[in-house]
Amino acid sequence: MISCADFMAELGNYLDDQVAAEVRQQLENHLSHCQTCQVVVDSTRKTVTIVTDSGSFDLPETAMKPLTEQIMNKIRSQQP
Amino acid sequence: MGYLREVDASLSFQSFATFREHFGFVSKQWGAQTDLLDFAVRLGSQGTSISSEDVGRLLGAGLSDEAVLEAVLVAAWANFCSTLSTGIGTEPDFALPGLPASPADSQSSTHECWGPYLKTVPLRPAEFAPFAILVDHFGFVPSLFRSQGLRPDALAAEVSALQAILLTGSALKRAQKEGILLAASGANQNTYCVVVFAEVSGALGTPVEDSYQTAMDHRQVALVESEHALLDFAIKLILEPAGFTQQDVDLLRTQGFNDEQVLDAVAVTALTRFLNTVQWGVGAVPDFAPRQSFRRAGNNPHLSSTESRRTQREEISDPDAGLVEKAKSGDLDAFQALVERHSKRVYRTLLGLLGDADQARDAMQDTFLKAFQHLGGFESRSKFCTWLVTIASNTGLQLLRERRPIESLDSSDSESDEAFRPRQIRAWTENPEQMYAQTERRALVERAVLALPAKYRVVVLLRDIEQLPAEEAAAALGLGVPALKSRLLRGRLMLREALAPHFMKNPKGVSA
Repeated sequence: MISCADFMAELGNYLDDQVAAEVRQQLENHLSHCQTCQVVVDSTRKTVTIVTDSGSFDLPETAMKPLTEQIMNKIRSQQP
Repeated sequence: MGYLREVDASLSFQSFATFREHFGFVSKQWGAQTDLLDFAVRLGSQGTSISSEDVGRLLGAGLSDEAVLEAVLVAAWANFCSTLSTGIGTEPDFALPGLPASPADSQSSTHECWGPYLKTVPLRPAEFAPFAILVDHFGFVPSLFRSQGLRPDALAAEVSALQAILLTGSALKRAQKEGILLAASGANQNTYCVVVFAEVSGALGTPVEDSYQTAMDHRQVALVESEHALLDFAIKLILEPAGFTQQDVDLLRTQGFNDEQVLDAVAVTALTRFLNTVQWGVGAVPDFAPRQSFRRAGNNPHLSSTESRRTQREEISDPDAGLVEKAKSGDLDAFQALVERHSKRVYRTLLGLLGDADQARDAMQDTFLKAFQHLGGFESRSKFCTWLVTIASNTGLQLLRERRPIESLDSSDSESDEAFRPRQIRAWTENPEQMYAQTERRALVERAVLALPAKYRVVVLLRDIEQLPAEEAAAALGLGVPALKSRLLRGRLMLREALAPHFMKNPKGVSA
């Protein structure tokens, strides 16, 4: 039987689907009766999806254009 | 990079100057015996050309065996230092003096030359502790060490170095270090060392044939790609020190090696070169009958094989390769296309790190200017995009350090070793992404990401926002893949805690 702490130690690999079949079996046995770990797995997966799809820190194309132009002007002006 | 070769020679040069000052009995004879210096320089640069005749000539000219052994040790030490400094990219401590031209090339001989060239003083493991250590680890005292009996003090130091680098260091596995000893000795064409390391590995369970093959051409041995990359790294350090750059180190990082492991690889390679050089100088006789010679006439096949391997690697498709080549040859429009293609990614990384749009803009400009300046040094061993993100994240992290020197970005992962206890344990709604408008969700995520400590934040940015593969993100940050993964998990769990109040199911009976 593995504990919640054991489960947490393997969580990263479990989420990335990088655990051996035998370990996966043990982890899933634990999950089947541990609601806390079920919640952690489910909500961590959802967290990754939300973060990835959030469009965070994006700059719209129109705002980017003047910035790249400024960069290239600077580089061109430094050329002999 | 020309400076690497110069460091190479200057180290030998400085070592000889020191050698001259410190060892009176040699320096008395020095003026008349420039032969000794020639010998040491040739031993250091073309060890395969040394034969018993060279040593005989020195002894015939009145030099003592002790003096010759000392010259051998100093040349070997200089090689050790130069490999070490090349591998870790040391800046010279002093301005470089004008250096003598290196001796004419291609004197190397395909004949094996066995000695011993010098008189030996027998030392017994029972009375001489360093030999007892060798017996302990290798099962016998290789003749390479027995041939240096005139200098028990130097032997003791060598065995200590051997212990520290080969036997106790824990970053690389023992088998990886043995692979380096074999591949580097093979590249150096030192048959003696290949034989002794193959036999020692054999005693530990590696088939001797496999070890010979590793020394001859490790690509013929079934190893995972990261192990091949490690051996390529060692071989390049031996054969092409002048072409060795940051890119070579980055390549190992891409393969999942951390900096401790890279340093280990450099140290083992340097130690191999030391042992190879001593062997040529003293003419240590093989302890086992060699099954084949590693001496080769003409071009060293290792050299051409590393070349062809590099070409193969370049073919690993980088969608930017064409533009990068044009930009390198001065085509500014090509560079502009690269800027336009990658500006969003660079900006996102910097804004995510710095949290301030003005600073992110300036840092983006800085990133592209640096990339433009250093484009010549970019060798296509990693994708251009990864290289750019490396510059961007380093630029951003540097600004953070300046802003808040107290916050440690590099501290060890001790806190992530502690068990992480989730506090928010209520289930989330089925479709959390539908709970808020996109702009609201974005604001929540940005706030949560910016609240993370920088060392977790940067990993989350590269993996979950930029979606770089783990290996590339690890390489960009100079981390090993395991360290990267552990920081990523910690970062994700912290984000989960921060986002949970917004996405949890409502408690029963309470309406939204």
